[in-house]
Amino acid sequence: MPGEHLPNADAPCFSCRLVAPSTRQARRTRLCAAEVGECAIEDPRHLLRQFLMAKKWSYAVANVSIILSEIVMVQFPRILGEFTNTLSRRQLTPGRVMDYALELLLVGVVYVLLFGVGQMRNGRHGREFEYLLRKRLFDHWETLSAGYFRKRSVGDLLNHALNDVRAVREALSGGMNILTNSIFLLAATLFMTLTTINVKLTLMSLIPILFVPLLVIWWGPRIRDASRKVQESLSDMADLTEESLSAISLVKATANERVETDRFTKRVDQIVRRQLGMIQRSAMFQSFIPLLGSLSFAIALLYGGYLTVERQISLGAFVAFTLYLAMIITPLQQIGFVINNFQRASASMARLRILLSVAPDIKDSDHAVQHIEIAGDIDVRLTSFTYPDGDAPVLRNIAFSVARGQTVGIVGRTGSGKTTLANLLPRIFDPPDSSVFVDGYDIRELPLSVLRAAIAYVPQDGFLFSTSIGENIGFSSVDATPEAIEQAARNAAIYEDIMRFRDGMATQIGERGVTLSGGQKQRTAIARALLKNAPILLLDDSLSAVDMNTEKRLITRLQQIRHGKTTLIVAHRLSAVRHADLILVLDGGELVESGTHTDLIRRKGVYSALYRLQHDGEGVTG
Amino acid sequence: MRQKTLRDATPTSGLASLAHLLPFARPYIGYFAVVFVLVVIYNAASVLQPYLVKIAIDRDISVAHLDLHGLIAVSLVYIGAVIASVAANYFQILLLQYVGQSIVRKIRIRLFSHIESQSMSFFDNNSLGRLVTNVSSDTETVSQFFTQFFLSMVRDGLSLVMIIAVMFELSPRIAAYCMVLLPIIFAISLLFRKRLRTAYQTTRTRLSNVVSFLAENLAGMRITQIFHQEDRQAERFRSLNEAHRSANVHEYQVSVQFNRALDLLGNVAVAGVVWVGGNAVIGHMILFGTLYAFITYIRQFFQPINSITQQWNTLQSSIVAADRIGRVLAVQPDVADPVQPLTPREVTGKIEFDQVSFAYKPGENVLNDISFAVAPGAFVGFVGATGAGKSSIMSLLTRFYDVSQGRVTVDDVDVREYRQEDLHRMIGLVQQDVHLFSGTVTDNIRMFRGEFSEQDVIRAAEAVGADEIIRRLPQGYETKLFAKGANLSMGERQLVSFARVVLLNPRVLILDEATASLDSQTEAWVQRGLQAVAKNRTTLVIAHRLSTIRHADQIIVLDRGRIIEQGDHETLVAKGGMYARLYEKSGIEAPATAAVDILTLSPVARG
Repeated sequence: MPGEHLPNADAPCFSCRLVAPSTRQARRTRLCAAEVGECAIEDPRHLLRQFLMAKKWSYAVANVSIILSEIVMVQFPRILGEFTNTLSRRQLTPGRVMDYALELLLVGVVYVLLFGVGQMRNGRHGREFEYLLRKRLFDHWETLSAGYFRKRSVGDLLNHALNDVRAVREALSGGMNILTNSIFLLAATLFMTLTTINVKLTLMSLIPILFVPLLVIWWGPRIRDASRKVQESLSDMADLTEESLSAISLVKATANERVETDRFTKRVDQIVRRQLGMIQRSAMFQSFIPLLGSLSFAIALLYGGYLTVERQISLGAFVAFTLYLAMIITPLQQIGFVINNFQRASASMARLRILLSVAPDIKDSDHAVQHIEIAGDIDVRLTSFTYPDGDAPVLRNIAFSVARGQTVGIVGRTGSGKTTLANLLPRIFDPPDSSVFVDGYDIRELPLSVLRAAIAYVPQDGFLFSTSIGENIGFSSVDATPEAIEQAARNAAIYEDIMRFRDGMATQIGERGVTLSGGQKQRTAIARALLKNAPILLLDDSLSAVDMNTEKRLITRLQQIRHGKTTLIVAHRLSAVRHADLILVLDGGELVESGTHTDLIRRKGVYSALYRLQHDGEGVTG
Repeated sequence: MRQKTLRDATPTSGLASLAHLLPFARPYIGYFAVVFVLVVIYNAASVLQPYLVKIAIDRDISVAHLDLHGLIAVSLVYIGAVIASVAANYFQILLLQYVGQSIVRKIRIRLFSHIESQSMSFFDNNSLGRLVTNVSSDTETVSQFFTQFFLSMVRDGLSLVMIIAVMFELSPRIAAYCMVLLPIIFAISLLFRKRLRTAYQTTRTRLSNVVSFLAENLAGMRITQIFHQEDRQAERFRSLNEAHRSANVHEYQVSVQFNRALDLLGNVAVAGVVWVGGNAVIGHMILFGTLYAFITYIRQFFQPINSITQQWNTLQSSIVAADRIGRVLAVQPDVADPVQPLTPREVTGKIEFDQVSFAYKPGENVLNDISFAVAPGAFVGFVGATGAGKSSIMSLLTRFYDVSQGRVTVDDVDVREYRQEDLHRMIGLVQQDVHLFSGTVTDNIRMFRGEFSEQDVIRAAEAVGADEIIRRLPQGYETKLFAKGANLSMGERQLVSFARVVLLNPRVLILDEATASLDSQTEAWVQRGLQAVAKNRTTLVIAHRLSTIRHADQIIVLDRGRIIEQGDHETLVAKGGMYARLYEKSGIEAPATAAVDILTLSPVARG
């Protein structure tokens, strides 16, 4: 239950800071130096502090406005009370009535204006901080490597960026408003009733409604919990629907429709059960709070009436008191909500802190070589490579050299390590020290900007962004000319496809635009890489969805435009690497054969067996 | 065959679409009446409160002599009224929610079974996501109509009426003045509602832009990094984020303005009542207590009106949702059961296609003049390129679609003469993609059917050689499968689907051979399982590997919707036609070794 462990989530940092500031400080400093570098900025609490400091005057204005508005607000019952007293003293004249009415009008208008100003400011600042936090998160994520994203689901990260950030904002905007509002309204009201009306009456009547905030604190999380359960069962039902409908052919073929409906009915029944369970709790809650308020009112009526009759308080005081009572029940209720709100927000802050404290694992070395031009010689001397989260090496004993201008093919069956090997070169994953060299430099000693500027990469899945095709192709450079984009598209044999779309290069792709086929995606991704015109081109199995004829055209084109530049082609189909100067054959993470096509065919090893099979088997089946 | 999407269904508009759902609510009419009574009690008590105070003030407190008894009596009535109101409210909430949930439950079950009863063309033309939304969120929205909207109309409407009635009863003159407020409040509410809705929608849209940008960029972070475009993407994110912030701030401002405007009007109204009422008191037209009651009522006035205008949105979204649900419910299945179905007795499994033509879209035949006959128990292979019509033939046999011309018979009876349920019990289907359900392995094999015992399941698994493999899973047969069977390997999933068919024991088996690559060990298991499944059944195989159907009794070669060759392996090879060419290219020279070769190396070969 999230409600239960919320306080604990934040407990370590608070207690550490309060109980042992020196050791905590020391540890944090060490952490900063060792891992984070910019710890002071990465911690969302520092960010919050900075933000509050920057806006301190605006916050002061906002909260002073709210406090003033409450002081004005509590005049309302007082004026009505005086009006009543004047009336019962029979001193009321039409002129006095007018005065009172105008006074009330003034109070009403001033209150609304002051409170509105305060509320508006606090709300705006909360949203500004929300913006800052999201920006910080994105900036932070941009520094993290593929290894980080491999371990986490996008959905989970989005959840942080949406819900945790929103929880913090809610506490900062609504929470701040309500807190200031309810505390001061409560204080002002109590001050008024205690000083101007009657101490005993005030205390007696308060007894029932003092339970209101406790009730909210206790019940709030439980209702939230129950409503989460309802949500869960709703998504259970949606899951089952999706599961069943996506298997509809099987369901029909096995005449299983009725069984499926039974399964569905069970989920629906669970929703009904949970929903009613939640409703029971919240109905109880919704009934109790007015009940307590009414009890207070009953006491006020009875005891206050008695005091009035006994002439211990005036009729005006009695009237004012009943109005005061109606006024404080809302803030009492809100205090409870605010406490729950703050608890949630502090748990969210703790989660964000953890998220932001992850240090980038792939970054520039401290003594990185600066200002060099990469020509494109590659040297690999890898003894073994294990994924950061893996336990067994996925690559072993791989050594080869590529001179600038050469074309290299990397082949092997699924899972043989081709993609892993390709990913080491642009440091998507970091290779061990001194195992991959470009132009004689260990790539870990090259600044990332230099290394990556020298490599054009085409991913396996042809990942594209949901922008226009033109923008995707020109991704590597903000000032890519339309001509350059067009040329890259032609080189990647995608130009004609693009021109067939109504909007040409401006065609939007993705959910809101056209859906490209696998081959079109891959060719667009190739165009994007070609536009970069880097000394090293790396195609990570990016021809798999391209048909044979287009592949042939593409390869020929590549040979022309990549003349004198290094090209690495990871491929499944041997036809894509046949022309290469060097072909590496991987199997089980090891380099088992290497040489030119002719060498390898003559050798009658793995490559020649693969070749025979693929060559003969082309087009056997659909 | 008609192309049919939900958009084409006759559109119903406005309230009519909600009226279509009323039959679901009819059985609960008595409950609604009780809810109504409870709401009246609840409202009465809250309207009574100021009235009681007025009585206390005018009769017991402000008069010269003390009447403690009267005061106590008033207080007791008040407490009694409060308790009655709280209790009425509590039971009203429970009851109404019960009714609302029950109605939605019925709609959901009805909708789901209606969708399941549709023919395949329905699923071709309507996206899965859309249908899931119909079942889950549209029904949820409709439930708000039966709970929130109904309640608000009754509760807020009643409370407004009751407040006005009491006001007129207290002082018709002041009440008449107060009525000026009604149109003003309505106008303010309607004005702001529209602005609020636009502001809310803008914020929502912009937030979803932020979310989809984030989702995409988190997934493609390595591309951004390798192309060194972190700054550009950060800048894009900043502008989306900023657009959301400004919309969000704007939305907040509008809502603050709206609430403060109502506040302001309320305060002005109180001042006005004090002015008008104060003069009336001086003129002895009303007592002071009456003025007090007016001040309280004028504040109570705003709440129900505000709440009713809020329900406008609920009503509109309910209409949209009800309309969508109505469209789905209005669709009649293309493939219907005959009025007088034939009940199959002893099924032998004889199959015949007689000059069958078929088109998914009118005018674009995918099958032309297909005729062939399969003897009971025979093993038949279908060969041809993608789009040749292999799967369509199978879909006609299972009657997922109806033929355009000709007829398909099982045991000499047209498939259209059987009930679909009977037909589907005769014919089993093993598909390329194995569909698995979230549940245990046992449940997946027996498809959640109660009529099969665990023993039956184990026997079926043993028959296809899956038993040993299943027992190796963490909890054996009780292992829970994740969505889409993510915790099983391809081979294991195949075996589960074989066990399924053996358990259901159909006379005719359609097998769409999996194209996915398996390692040689699993491939061997799967081949063995396959043989076990095919035993003693009429088996039709869509083959992707020629080795699978080498020994078939009959091989049917399809090309662009027509049968171009038919016969057994030897005949077809001797004929030197398309099959022979395919066979030659597949590189199977000597049957035994070639098969092994294909099995071990196929993963690479198939790309």
